[in-house]
Amino acid sequence: MKRGWWVALLCWMGAAQAHISSNGFLVLHVQGQELTGSLELAVRDVELAVGVDTNHDGKVTWGELRANAPQLLQYVAQHLRLSTEARACVLNLGSLQVNERVDGTYVWLPLSARCPQAIGQLGIGYSMLEDIDPSHRGLLTLTAGAVTQSEVLGGTRPNATFEVHSPATWRTFSAYLQAGIWHIWSGIDHLLFLLSLLLPAVLIRRGRHWEPVSAARPAIFSILKVVTAFTLAHSITLTLAALNVVRLPSRLTESVIAASIVVAALNNIFPIVTDSRARIAFAFGLLHGFGFASVLADMGLPSGARLISLLAFNLGIETGQLAVVLGVMPIVYLVRASLVYRRAILPWGSAVIAAIALVWLLQRALPPVA
Amino acid sequence: MLAELPAGARHASFANREVTRTRLDIALPLAQFYISRARATGDLRFLGYAEAILMPWMSRPDVPTAVLVLHATVLQSRHLFDASLTELDRALAKTPDDPQAWLTRATVLRVLGRYQEAHVSCERLAAAADPAINTLCTQGLSGLTGHLPEAYAAIAALPQQALPPEARAWRYSELGEMAERLGDDTAAEHWLRQGLAVAPDDFYMRAACADVLLRQGRAAQTLQLLAGYESMEPMLLRIAIAQRMLHDGSSAHTADLLASAFNVEQQRGDAVHRREQARFLLDVSAQPAAALAAARENWQVQREPEDLLILLRAAQAAHQPRVAQPAREFLRAQKLQDARLAPYEAAP
Repeated sequence: MKRGWWVALLCWMGAAQAHISSNGFLVLHVQGQELTGSLELAVRDVELAVGVDTNHDGKVTWGELRANAPQLLQYVAQHLRLSTEARACVLNLGSLQVNERVDGTYVWLPLSARCPQAIGQLGIGYSMLEDIDPSHRGLLTLTAGAVTQSEVLGGTRPNATFEVHSPATWRTFSAYLQAGIWHIWSGIDHLLFLLSLLLPAVLIRRGRHWEPVSAARPAIFSILKVVTAFTLAHSITLTLAALNVVRLPSRLTESVIAASIVVAALNNIFPIVTDSRARIAFAFGLLHGFGFASVLADMGLPSGARLISLLAFNLGIETGQLAVVLGVMPIVYLVRASLVYRRAILPWGSAVIAAIALVWLLQRALPPVA
Repeated sequence: MLAELPAGARHASFANREVTRTRLDIALPLAQFYISRARATGDLRFLGYAEAILMPWMSRPDVPTAVLVLHATVLQSRHLFDASLTELDRALAKTPDDPQAWLTRATVLRVLGRYQEAHVSCERLAAAADPAINTLCTQGLSGLTGHLPEAYAAIAALPQQALPPEARAWRYSELGEMAERLGDDTAAEHWLRQGLAVAPDDFYMRAACADVLLRQGRAAQTLQLLAGYESMEPMLLRIAIAQRMLHDGSSAHTADLLASAFNVEQQRGDAVHRREQARFLLDVSAQPAAALAAARENWQVQREPEDLLILLRAAQAAHQPRVAQPAREFLRAQKLQDARLAPYEAAP
């Protein structure tokens, strides 16, 4: 919360404020049968609700706001109802302060409430400004222990009920899981990279020739190593990037991802690394993680469920990846001994992959033609 | 001082609201006033105030047509186009030749890229409206569907002085937009500046004019044009782009402000500024992947040439040109001519 340094903010915010629809910001923390938190309403909205411009000069001052605080507190108490299992909680409002937001100055009200029993199900009735500005919404952040949920209150849904300990996490989880699966399917560059590393996994390099592995076990082991290394690496960077610990420019990561495919594919034609492709998988996997992160940045992580969504997205990627591996590798294993595979599919397939990736690399690395 | 209250947003003016519940002759102009304030200032709260006046009337069994049309206008301004069309259809079921309803319907359908249906609305409008309005309505659509030079000439030929007042700015805005699509930025600027002289509050034209200047790299003049309009997100976006061009020190602050505004709107689930958000992500914060996601979402909501442009540009910047395939198909199907879109027209 930005309490305390609003004065400093006021100075550099200058005249610029963005016009957005009217919002109230409600923050609630649940602990046993107690609630603590805050409510923020725009000074402009407070004026409409209770009238604080006492001298009618079209400006609201701190003095006017303070003088009208009792009316405001009464209004808030009438338009914010908290309850558990249909039994009302007793709301207490603290003394008001102000906070600067993107669309102007807000009144910041600390609040607490005591409910008749431990809060498992919280009912919130939010009807601020309902007859003055029907487009007003309350943006709620509700925390109980490690569980945080965000919701939009008001409008056609003035009364809402929340399971404070087990929110609609599953919905979020499955949405991000699907996004992860979908991305690995539509993000063909990651698949091509992985395939380039896996195509020779059923073979073994002897001298200047590829020979089929004799049994399934070494092939499976080799595949497992590559996939695990890739997964481990991209999970690390995906997490770091998604949590904003590290950031790389997308042009750089996209270019290096393309380059990684070129390298992996060429390595099948002119083998340099033959026994530790897992290391290539790991090294470049780190960069692919940044690529995944940019997709996640498109979706945004829900503020309440960042870790769970991140985990779901990552699991989705792994699921999609596993499906590809399970679909392709058994076939590759079966045909590994044929000359067609060793002399044509592996080298020429790799050449095609390298060529495609080279085009991507040029597209991504060169500045766009204006 | 904590806040300055804009005209029409005082508690005192809301205290006597009761009268608008019973007197339509007071409710309608007041709602109209708020909608026009929202348009002139970009302040979305005014749309809410208009809705508050219309609400009691809408719950009546015999909703007056004018109330439905105004509500449709509010919904349109919030980019809730489908809901807006529903209200307009209700209005037209009551009053089959309400010219305002047909005109608003044509506008909404045009934004949605449903040009053939929009054309039908224009034709229905023709019966009731001034011939100049009819020309603007139909030729505006012809200009989007393969007859741009002819439509441009037809609208240019309308005598400005003889137009009804509500059509004066419209003609300039249409001409400016058409000149842009023809690739004639000099003419576009000329028309849009003339239009702004007639209607300085028309933020559609001001934003279009800023785009013409930005395209020519005239960043300093863009800032001049937009000075005083910083509180409107579409304007602030163009200010941010101009500041970036000039390596202006305040560009980071402008970008922060925009990012927080978009953030709150996203939290609310508002789609009002999705196009601007996409352009912000592409041109200011250099996140092409996120820009593409926003541009795709926006494409689901609205399909004006600018929406096509941002989708095509974002897809190219994110190295996923194929994602913009629906936009390319739309271009081809409608025979939409637009110099800005031409570089992206070829299939990847």
